[in-house]
Amino acid sequence: MGNNEIELRICHMYPDLLNLYGDRGNVLSLIRRTELRGIKAKVVPVSIGDDFDENDFDIVFLGGGQDAEQNVIRKDFVEVKGPKVKAAIENGMVFLCICGGYQMLGNYYQEHDGTKIECLGAIDVYTVGEDVRYIQDTIYEAEFLKDPEKNDSAVLYGFENHSGRTYLGPSVKPMAKVIEGAGNNGKDGFEGAIYNNVYCTYSHGSFLPKNPRMTDHLLCLALKRRYGEEYELPALDTKVEDLARAALLRYKEKGNTAP
Amino acid sequence: MASLRYHFAILSAKATRLALRIMGRGATTLPGKVAVKFDPMLLKKLCAGRDCVTITGTNGKTTTTHMITDIFRNCGYTVVTNVSGANLLSGVTTSMIFGLKDMKKAEKEGKKVICVLETDEAAYGKIACQIKPKVSIVTNLFRDQLDRFGELAHTRDLIAKGLDTCEADILLNSDDSLVSELYKGREARTVFYGLSEESMHYNNVTYPDKSGVLPASSDAEYCTGCKTKYTYTARSFGHLGAFSCEKCGKKRQTPRFFVKYDLSKNPSDEGYELSLCDGGAKEAELEKRVKLPIPGMHNFYNSIAAVAACVRMGEKIGDTEKLSFEKCAAALEHVEAAFGRMEKISIGDKKICVLLVKNPVGLDRALSFVAGASDAEGIYMLLNSNIADGKDVSWIWDVDFESKEFPEKVYVSGDRYGDMMLRIVYSGVEDSRIIAKPMEECAELLDQAISDSTPGKCLYILPNYTSMLALRSILVKRYHLKDFWK
Repeated sequence: MGNNEIELRICHMYPDLLNLYGDRGNVLSLIRRTELRGIKAKVVPVSIGDDFDENDFDIVFLGGGQDAEQNVIRKDFVEVKGPKVKAAIENGMVFLCICGGYQMLGNYYQEHDGTKIECLGAIDVYTVGEDVRYIQDTIYEAEFLKDPEKNDSAVLYGFENHSGRTYLGPSVKPMAKVIEGAGNNGKDGFEGAIYNNVYCTYSHGSFLPKNPRMTDHLLCLALKRRYGEEYELPALDTKVEDLARAALLRYKEKGNTAP
Repeated sequence: MASLRYHFAILSAKATRLALRIMGRGATTLPGKVAVKFDPMLLKKLCAGRDCVTITGTNGKTTTTHMITDIFRNCGYTVVTNVSGANLLSGVTTSMIFGLKDMKKAEKEGKKVICVLETDEAAYGKIACQIKPKVSIVTNLFRDQLDRFGELAHTRDLIAKGLDTCEADILLNSDDSLVSELYKGREARTVFYGLSEESMHYNNVTYPDKSGVLPASSDAEYCTGCKTKYTYTARSFGHLGAFSCEKCGKKRQTPRFFVKYDLSKNPSDEGYELSLCDGGAKEAELEKRVKLPIPGMHNFYNSIAAVAACVRMGEKIGDTEKLSFEKCAAALEHVEAAFGRMEKISIGDKKICVLLVKNPVGLDRALSFVAGASDAEGIYMLLNSNIADGKDVSWIWDVDFESKEFPEKVYVSGDRYGDMMLRIVYSGVEDSRIIAKPMEECAELLDQAISDSTPGKCLYILPNYTSMLALRSILVKRYHLKDFWK
């Protein structure tokens, strides 16, 4: 099969509402690293009132939003699209969910005053809102990205900005180990969640541009699912991304230059 | 009779300024901060009985403040205003304290005094009650350092709180759905300004000229009341436009002051002409053709807001003669750009133009401006992440770089040069066109960018806040430019 017949269909969920802290860059990354390989990429926005059919897509992106916006979508997401989203997850559809999107896949979100907001319950995690907000650059290490040929292949860079503390149930694995930052809850040293092909993280920033091996991991999962296990993702260098990663590391070491 | 406390406060401010000057430092906020410690209600006393205009919102505050100041001055008033950025209680107080001398002198000579005060949108709620403005402008609400300020709806509520502590006439941007709903419950004192719906509609098809890969992350697409998606018959940029909610009927209000424009000519060009209109006149609608004093489409809004503020102030203080619509609109033409706000600076036979960018919509407008500028040959972008900039630089991904044409030569610096370099590359610019250097080498990179440029062409520099401060001192030191913007 030639690459020109291959196509990646990206579902961008609620792009008009969940679009905080540069999450849009994740979709741009999926498009870029697909197209540079000569593979077609198609993005379909799926918002309130739009039908979600898992057969139309290979990967779903769900970002985070402001509270007001998240309240707007809650009913549509949990009640209307909910059953189909759950089914897609059980069928192995690839998802990338950031921050608010991550929290909404879980069982519930408990607000500061104790009120429990029911969420989708697609993955066994829950979140408790607290006063202190984690706002900082983060570094994680993800076991599944380890490449013996490449030193920092498993290192993920991000930026977290959340007041929710998320706790994982037994059926869910953390996505990565925290090297710097708070991670899921500031306590257990882990960040994000993996369940089937669902990847969740608190990392905004944007997450994928700075972590091209993570992008490729998701692309590979999505295309193998569509075109069969024998499908091989064409090689693509990470030259520019590595330059940016080196600059970031340099910044982490040196800190800000005072004006 | 002013209290002892008041005099102590003023004295402490003067002493602080003296100390700062001896140390060779600027004194735009600290004197006020110290003075307020002695007299927490000092600003109220300084503003009492004076005619104040406040300008708040996320974008365009400084330019609008600057325009209003120039219009009043051109119309024969003495103006006290605050230094750009010094827009919290401390900064506003500092400006008022050191404006006292001028105010007293003018009042002695029988000249009228107006105070034109830029106020931070998050601080407005707390300081409007002290300023008691006669006219208060809310420019727009775009996402801006959400990590510091919280949500837009929250910012809007803070502004609402401030509006209710004073009796100011409120000037609202009719095209911003978040801002315009501030008129509810304040109908009698609200006046709207905006762009003409016909012009917007007519230009819908031609602007923006190129569509991107993915729409920019937008704010306020849904009705805050009933959470239904707005319908737009026309847009200017971002979420600004002729919106309406089909469910609850909320919609854009027809503005009294508006701009008629045509984008078949390029608003990035010098000498671009547009019409300012006042639809509130008793007889026929007033229309004045003027040259846009500072280029860029976002300055349509700043221009009409400034003229509207001056005209309303004239009506409020009974000086409709000196501050007629005709005179205010004419005075606008003579406004000059401030540093970092599209001012072109000559360096030998080369030219640079600095456009401060602090948030997504500002960056979008700046990139769009550069893409349209016929003399753009190089672009130099600087991104820092100090506290004053916001620690989070993720917002650069919310901007639609993809639809903007980049100049041939691209230079990148700042503490977060890696982030910015990657952002530009991901928009489709070949990495071979980009030179990226860390912040410590930003001055050498500036030298290179200037020396690379061709006479007659312009190097556009887009720094964020603290990188602009750094750039400013580099220009003073290396290129011996006078620190004329203070």
